[in-house]
Amino acid sequence: MDQTGSFPVKLYIYDLSRGMARQLSPVMLGKQLDGIWHTAIVVHGKEYFFVGEGINWCSPGGTPLGEPLSIVDLGYTEVPAELFTEYLTSLTESTYSRDKYNLFEHNCNTFSNEVAQFLTGKKIPSYITDLPSEVLSTPFGQALRPLLDSIVINPGGNNITGQR
Amino acid sequence: MADQGAADPGNNNNNKPEASEGTIIKVTVKTPKDKEEIAIAEDASVTQFKEEISRRFKAKQDQLVLIFAGKILKDGDSLSQHGIKDGLTVHLVIKTAHKGGDGGSTSASSSSSTQAGSTSTSSPGTNPSSTAGPTGPAPPPTQTPNILTGFGDLASLAGLGMGSANFMELQQQMQRQLMSNPEMLSQIMENPLVQNMMSNPDLMRQMIMANPQMQQLMERNPEISHMLNNPELMRQTMELARNPAMMQEMMRNQDRALSNLESIPGGYNALRRMYTDIQEPMFSAAREQFGSNPFSALGGSSESGAQPSRTENREPLPNPWGPPNSSNPSESGGGTTGSTSTTGGTNPSVSNPLGINPGSLGNGMFNSPGMQSLLQQISENPQLMQNMLSAPYMRSMMQSLAQNPELASQVLMNNPLFAGNPQLQEQFRAQLPIFLQQMQNPEALSVMTNPRAMQALMQIQQGLQTLQTEAPGLMPSLMSGGIPGIPTGGGLPTENPASSPSSAGTNTAQQQLMQQMLQMFAGGGGGGGATTQTPEVRFQSQLDQLNAMGFINREANLQALIATGGDINAAIERLLGSQPS
Repeated sequence: MDQTGSFPVKLYIYDLSRGMARQLSPVMLGKQLDGIWHTAIVVHGKEYFFVGEGINWCSPGGTPLGEPLSIVDLGYTEVPAELFTEYLTSLTESTYSRDKYNLFEHNCNTFSNEVAQFLTGKKIPSYITDLPSEVLSTPFGQALRPLLDSIVINPGGNNITGQR
Repeated sequence: MADQGAADPGNNNNNKPEASEGTIIKVTVKTPKDKEEIAIAEDASVTQFKEEISRRFKAKQDQLVLIFAGKILKDGDSLSQHGIKDGLTVHLVIKTAHKGGDGGSTSASSSSSTQAGSTSTSSPGTNPSSTAGPTGPAPPPTQTPNILTGFGDLASLAGLGMGSANFMELQQQMQRQLMSNPEMLSQIMENPLVQNMMSNPDLMRQMIMANPQMQQLMERNPEISHMLNNPELMRQTMELARNPAMMQEMMRNQDRALSNLESIPGGYNALRRMYTDIQEPMFSAAREQFGSNPFSALGGSSESGAQPSRTENREPLPNPWGPPNSSNPSESGGGTTGSTSTTGGTNPSVSNPLGINPGSLGNGMFNSPGMQSLLQQISENPQLMQNMLSAPYMRSMMQSLAQNPELASQVLMNNPLFAGNPQLQEQFRAQLPIFLQQMQNPEALSVMTNPRAMQALMQIQQGLQTLQTEAPGLMPSLMSGGIPGIPTGGGLPTENPASSPSSAGTNTAQQQLMQQMLQMFAGGGGGGGATTQTPEVRFQSQLDQLNAMGFINREANLQALIATGGDINAAIERLLGSQPS
């Protein structure tokens, strides 16, 4: 069987707006949003995230976003790398294929949340997963929704299935 | 005890009574593709659990790997040892024979197609549950692709302006959805009724034109009606729609072009404009016949309650100096068009094209560093403004806003900048029609796209700010945190007698000062628009003449006249030029 190693699992949090959201959100949206959060799960020495191309990985902190704004420790997992890769492959084939990306409802944070639960049983902080609904609850967000729905974020990395 | 799974065939999957000691708990087992609820005894062992799972998921026990709370469940363990209780979720990975392969996990591969249908964005396109056969839902889904691809074709016809990126967005969504479920599309296409319908261009055209919103759309955008009236084009469109591969190919090309467009600094916003102007009504028009507009729920109900085709998407008005309005998608690079501005509305007029409120320049919003940087970005990036404003759809958006002041005011009222300031709202509401008309004024537009002008304006603002601090007596009204101050900014002259909302007792001397300044400014920037009448008044006789000649579209006439400065012949040429024969 697999060794019962313990692999630390971390959540990397980035602010896609680089601080602008914190400044401008009260004006634009009428409510304070501290950032446009993008997250990735780091385990087994790699950073995994879900973007427009599908599930991608890179070395931790290796996306054009640079170093994360903050890192949350999610604990440990016994899931070894091999099994994790299989799991991700199944995810890619089902719910996290490249065309499933939706900025509001099925985005990188959705993915991080799900993987976090798989690996450790814990969820990621709720302020991250609440972001879409926060935005959508403003009239501005709703106005933009149809447009934003068609946006995908592609900050680089390698696709998990080896395709781009 | 080995009896777990007294299966009830044909029954709902849950509730297999387990005959064991202890209570039965229901545990959700989740694979990457699927999830099932499995009832098992509380004190069962992992092995027993796996037996159950292997039955349910149709996989070999050896292939199953169970994970709970980050731990891998080994056969020898018991469920309670890991703390698995009723209602909790255990993760399952079904190992394949070889790595990275074809996801051996069985269980409902059909789930992927349902998921494909449901997780796609709310594009109206296709109703995932409709398959070939039903005649009712079948036509509607194809209706939309027809329209879209029709416009997509337009995009490849050069220079029809609105044809381009706008519809590509629409198509992107469509494409995504369709691509995610290609069988669905081909099923639809195969439906003989659909094919029949599509081979009849007249019918298609009729259907499209029958929709009143579509008609409005066509009115505003003559290109659309041209497209519809061109049988060749229609035929091509339908060919395209019939051949999904070709359609995808074309969409992909446009996709690429679209993303190029997105990457230029102003492009994103321009796209948004385009989208709101065309796509919204398109969607509504398409959907109204066959169902509810998915977007109307987003905007229509909360905002206007007016026609669903125009929702609060209309909100952005790119005038950074005029009354506040917000316009960008905040995400990255917020510095696109002007949102922001003065906290006091002002009455825009020809000589004060930007409707600068002299009384409140340098106040409130401007003082925030965020706004400052936005403005700087704007002034540094004229391309942005240009993209925004020079688009024909922008104009038509303005027109529609102008025609629908109710809507516009509602839209703007919801803007948080206005929220706390009912006085401001009042003022703005009153000034709205003028303001909107001004937005159509090419002079105003050209000022805004002129980086030097913008910079000059910024300097003025800064100067005023300095003045404010240095000589507070000069501008007493500014002190009160930028309020409604002066609705009648500079050069109010003629305009709207109707709209002279509260002028909150400002210093008349200062007002005059500002007026002069602005008049000078306007005189210089407005290119000799020395008159202070509305364009309509100015061109009244020309308008009449045009009318007599048969150009009945007053709006277009006015636009042309404004653009050509009253030259009838040039205006006629313009009008003719913009309507492809």
